[in-house]
Amino acid sequence: MGGKVSCTLGEVKNRADFILYWGGNPAECHPRHFTKYTIMQKGKFLPEGRKGRTMVLVDIRETMSVKAADIFLQVRPGKDFEVITALRALVKGNRVDTALVEETGLKLEQLQDLVDRMKRCKFGVIFFGMGLSMTRGKHMNSAAVLTLAAEMNAFTKFVAMPMRGHGNVAGADMVLRWTTGYPFGVNLCRGFPRFNPGEFSTVDLLVRGDIDAAFVLGADPGATMPQPGIDTLARVPTIVLDPKVTHTSRLARVHITTSVTGISSPGTAYRMDEVPLPLRPVLKSPYPSDEEVVRRIIAAVDKKTAWLPRPETMSSGVA
Amino acid sequence: MLRITGGKVYDPANGINGEVRDICIADGKVVANVEGGRTIDANGMIVFPGGVDIHTHVAGAALNFARALTPENQRVAAKFMRTKDTRMGIGGQTPTTFATGYLYAGMGYTTVVEAAVPILSAKHTHEELRDTPIVDKACCLLMGNNELVMDLLEVGEYEKAKHTVAWLISAAKTYGIKAVNPGGVAAWKFGKDAKQIHSPIDGYNKVNPGTIIANLAKIVDELGLPHPMHLHCNNLGVPGNVSTTLETMKLLEGNRAHMAHLQFHAYGGDDWHNMRSESVQLAEYFNAHPNLTCDAGAVLFGNAVTITADGPWQHLLYQLTGRKWGNLDVENETGCGIVPYTYKGSNLVNAVQWAVGLELLLLINDPWRIFLTTDHPNGACFWRYPEIIHLLMHADIRRERVRALPDAALSRIYLADLDREYTLYEIAIITSAGPARALGMKQKGHLGVGADADIAIYNQNPDGELMFRYPRYVIKGGEVAVEEGEIRSVKDGHEFVCQPSYDEKIEDYLKPVFQQQYTMSFENYPVEAERVHGMQIAECSYHKETRTGAPEGDSPRTTPPSGG
Amino acid sequence: MTVTITQHATCTFCGCVCDDIELHDDGVKIIKTKAACSLGTSWFLNHTAERLYPDALIDGKEASVDDAVEVAAEYLHRANMPLVYGLSNVTCEAQREAVSLAEKIGAVIDSHTSL
Repeated sequence: MGGKVSCTLGEVKNRADFILYWGGNPAECHPRHFTKYTIMQKGKFLPEGRKGRTMVLVDIRETMSVKAADIFLQVRPGKDFEVITALRALVKGNRVDTALVEETGLKLEQLQDLVDRMKRCKFGVIFFGMGLSMTRGKHMNSAAVLTLAAEMNAFTKFVAMPMRGHGNVAGADMVLRWTTGYPFGVNLCRGFPRFNPGEFSTVDLLVRGDIDAAFVLGADPGATMPQPGIDTLARVPTIVLDPKVTHTSRLARVHITTSVTGISSPGTAYRMDEVPLPLRPVLKSPYPSDEEVVRRIIAAVDKKTAWLPRPETMSSGVA
Repeated sequence: MLRITGGKVYDPANGINGEVRDICIADGKVVANVEGGRTIDANGMIVFPGGVDIHTHVAGAALNFARALTPENQRVAAKFMRTKDTRMGIGGQTPTTFATGYLYAGMGYTTVVEAAVPILSAKHTHEELRDTPIVDKACCLLMGNNELVMDLLEVGEYEKAKHTVAWLISAAKTYGIKAVNPGGVAAWKFGKDAKQIHSPIDGYNKVNPGTIIANLAKIVDELGLPHPMHLHCNNLGVPGNVSTTLETMKLLEGNRAHMAHLQFHAYGGDDWHNMRSESVQLAEYFNAHPNLTCDAGAVLFGNAVTITADGPWQHLLYQLTGRKWGNLDVENETGCGIVPYTYKGSNLVNAVQWAVGLELLLLINDPWRIFLTTDHPNGACFWRYPEIIHLLMHADIRRERVRALPDAALSRIYLADLDREYTLYEIAIITSAGPARALGMKQKGHLGVGADADIAIYNQNPDGELMFRYPRYVIKGGEVAVEEGEIRSVKDGHEFVCQPSYDEKIEDYLKPVFQQQYTMSFENYPVEAERVHGMQIAECSYHKETRTGAPEGDSPRTTPPSGG
Repeated sequence: MTVTITQHATCTFCGCVCDDIELHDDGVKIIKTKAACSLGTSWFLNHTAERLYPDALIDGKEASVDDAVEVAAEYLHRANMPLVYGLSNVTCEAQREAVSLAEKIGAVIDSHTSL
């Protein structure tokens, strides 16, 4: 297994002479990624900036990001895993069947050229987006691309990083890890944290109808979930905190308007490379912050009979 | 108000060795006398100053990365269920923050030093420390591969480098600094390492690991930081690295230094097949050089997670073990590597590592200069310290364990020849009084009047492991935090920081360089004071003539606490 | 109209979390941004300090925050298997409180990451 071999974005800015984007369209989804962090920057060890870097884009279709790339490799939809596997074999010098590669929409020579470039660079990075991690193969694709980057370190310096989307989703991972030990989908109903993606992930819980109340903040699942999941949200008491009245608010029993993160409410957000940044709110909102409302709900819950899991075993605190 | 009566008190900083005497507490401090309040009858019990862990990894980006990388460990770890006063959590190799506080306090430890903090993510470390209840905290800033500092040393700008270090410590709100594989982690940014103390680091003409080590030690002393430079030497974990360690120590003559997890730096041989213990050679040098302190970094057999800023070493370990590998290089500052690891008694290398940790603890003859650590979670988890204490107190049990090792290990280690057995007084030194003194925390590690009332009370038991694993009472800041295994008070501890002075003009130099090399705004880089929960500022009042090492005579030290 | 200029503001619209944004505001609206991208600019310009929505809704009817908090607490306290979900467009401080709430009600807590 590979694990995860990564860096903060400044390392890419200062050192990366080979930058590969896979299944992402930064030109439209992360517009300043190129200009602030990666290809366009002059780095400490890349004084010539863009000229000193090679940019490769792998995607299933031509997006706005193609213009920024030196090389564009168009993969047939659903064939990313096969391409990564072929690359891992080529990196190790193993023989790869031409016909198998051609099923992916690419040619063996293209992949061999890519591997040669990867091995020649001084510092390589792969950014992968939802086009890789949310399509056929899903987390298997992410694991494969992370392993490819880890294995490249036998030849040269190489790292990989997911292109995290929504604002502070990286922060949610961080906070959940230090408080519960797991990054997402944590079930606390037995009194201690349990983790089993696929069982305790929201989409699975909602589609199976396994919950009897929902508290939603910083998201609008009523607009994005599959219909059976939305039906569950409408059936159980749902509570929404959001700066706007959202799709989810409309099917919820309770909606509370909150101030906008970073514009009116202060605090911290994590960048996709897990660097924490302070927020500098500028407008005084007529609404309370999410943090304040959650605190008030906690205070209201505290006034009721406390739920204590298995009180008879609580003496040592250790199960 | 609280009185502890009838217990045998072990307070080495004040020369008290098992005398029965009362300890009185008011307003969180040890006082001469109290009237009224609760009395704890400690008859048949022993009374220690609360434990001080000088080197551990419990909070921040690296540890949180390890949590994400090893859900399989969390699944089988001890679970902390929610109670009226305590939060949920998970123990194991990389405990959650709340569990970390409960586990340390539950073992009688009341002060904890997080040893590795990047400036770039120091906000994150402080956030996690805020959620680490009961214990007091401090942290060390990673400085041995900081390119702002290295670039200044390259052009001979020592004074500017010193002001930069002071500014960075103040910005990150840490207590001291730590150098990890100096130069090697910077070289790792292009896939290299720094194995020779006197060879220039990749990308530099003048700066070599030795330059960084010598200059940082001098800077720390000149800034008057209470704790000396905390040093993780080059070539950690590698056969034959004792020569690097000795060369490094020679560079440090004339300055203070704390040698972190010395066990990992005390090997002979030249490959994995003939690796052997060099604890005797290393201890001999160390014993003769009172400018140095160290912590053991002992290894116990079982599962561990290796977490270190030493990126190149972790890549090697990944290649050796074929297990998962986490790596996070931090721009211009440091790196971080994570590889899960299992120490096995049947493995020759691991057998040598296990022996070396204990040998150093037994061969370094001044307990005020070597402290109990496992470099948690690298050598073993901190909650296994009682197992090590037990081995230190019993030569026969050590010999029995040695007999269980592979025959080939016996000629490579010294452990079976060592007769020394630690006394309770010495255990109190290596777990509390010694590390507190090495940290320059005058209010910690002793029970004299004016000390913070952090106290562990144990039922006396010939089985040291049982005794130290389950304290009868733990008192933190004058409140009973643990009583008969139950968490009673979860009051948050303090965090100690230093704010060494610097020439403010250094910002004019740093800002443009920073904007070129970093990806964050200079103005958003420093940690805001309000982010450090329970912050107490410690004085930077070290002067070079102060000597370290054993106390002079048995005169009680009743220095008032610093830092308010 | 007084315009306030804020330097080094942080944009939380996407995972880039750029922290070098200059914002000009009149107290109610942000009227100008510098350094932000097109997505960031519309994020900043489209959120104001105006009262465009009711403080709270209970069963679709306008309500006070106090009442909504009480009703929310009642539903969550009563539930056997509540879900706490989202956590993307909120601060770490709010996320930290959400974990605390999830512990008290014995919930599953999850973010966008699980999708």
